[in-house]
Amino acid sequence: MAKKNKKSGASVEDAAAKPDEAEKVDEEEEEEEIEVELLQVDVGDIIKVKQILDETVAGTFTTEDVSTYGQVIQLEEDYSHENIKLFLMALACAFAAVAQFGLAADFPKNRLWLGVCCASYFCISGILQLIMTFIDKDCIMMTKPLSDPEAIKRVKNGGNQLMDKYGIRVRSQFPRFSEYYTVILEFQGKDPPSEFVKQTWSVGNFFDVDGFFDEEGLMLEVEKLYRRFEAGKFDKPDGNKTNSKKEN
Amino acid sequence: MFKDMVNKQVLELKKLWANKRQLTFQLLNLAMIVFSALMIWKGLMFATRSESPVVVVLSGSMEPAFQRGDILFLNNSVEKVYVGDVVVFKIKDRDIPIVHRILKVHEKPDGHVELLTKGDNNRVDDRGLYAPGQLWLEREDILGKAVGTLRYVGMVTIALNDYPVLKYVLVGMMGLFVLTSKEG
Repeated sequence: MAKKNKKSGASVEDAAAKPDEAEKVDEEEEEEEIEVELLQVDVGDIIKVKQILDETVAGTFTTEDVSTYGQVIQLEEDYSHENIKLFLMALACAFAAVAQFGLAADFPKNRLWLGVCCASYFCISGILQLIMTFIDKDCIMMTKPLSDPEAIKRVKNGGNQLMDKYGIRVRSQFPRFSEYYTVILEFQGKDPPSEFVKQTWSVGNFFDVDGFFDEEGLMLEVEKLYRRFEAGKFDKPDGNKTNSKKEN
Repeated sequence: MFKDMVNKQVLELKKLWANKRQLTFQLLNLAMIVFSALMIWKGLMFATRSESPVVVVLSGSMEPAFQRGDILFLNNSVEKVYVGDVVVFKIKDRDIPIVHRILKVHEKPDGHVELLTKGDNNRVDDRGLYAPGQLWLEREDILGKAVGTLRYVGMVTIALNDYPVLKYVLVGMMGLFVLTSKEG
């Protein structure tokens, strides 16, 4: 994910930004003299919009920049699930490579091995699809449980007793053609139903009509949501938010 | 506008390069897509016992049944071929497979089978095409019997073969698209 620092020069620029838009950015900077270029997206491209929102949400948990609350969240991202998927993909590719390059030479004799490699490839591919459909679902990021004793003490005093046992599962929902983006934080690895916090925003809160993205705004909102989670103020399962149509 | 598109893609690629984990994931994704296509092909090879389960008709020697540009699906797991079957065969030490019809089948008492083929649209049988001195084909020369066909779909393959640069353009575009689209 591209890190957007408040120092000049380290931001991602969109090539379509024209010179007059740089001036617009200048106007939007109130107190800071340093200019931050805002990322611009085509708001019609719903996939890109969700991707940017997801990346920012995930980045909020791992960023080292100090937030306006004066503390960073700084959770560690848990890569174990993704590593399993990467390993399975590599394994499937290995079988396929053997079938394609290793066994090409004597076809009729190697027919059985060819069948074995093909079948393995499709099996692993199928398993990967199942994992992505049923286990991953709408999860965009997972974090490890807290390990720093001071942080654990602070959080336990705050209200959430389980953060040193379970990591967080960050889920996001952005239905096609809907303007509402939902982020859900729940415990990873806990038997369902897990306690969760949920928040829905209209994407109009973070994108203006030209497609400029308010990254800071979203990070602030996500942090607010996280603080609720950290404090143990979980949402009720029957959904006290007006937007939830299905119960969790 | 085209320059903008190119710039955007270059930016996406740079962003991808910075994040090695994401890059690995997208590369493996791309590899899986390519391998899926290859494995379907290999799977067909396994199921039909043919080294080339799908072929494109290149000449007009089987008109009006098959035209240049048609796709043929082959099955080589048949034990015997009979007169009237449309088969694809390769003459020993030659690259190009030929699709013609079986004209004669001679089965010797010891079980050895000799085959003669002819294109529907040709005036003479294929003896002129066989290797010098060869009068008959053997069962091993047959790549498979035609069991299905799709009209005109093979024109794409013919175009890609006649203008090889199209192959690189096509594969390059598809690869770029998969690497930089982030649905996975």
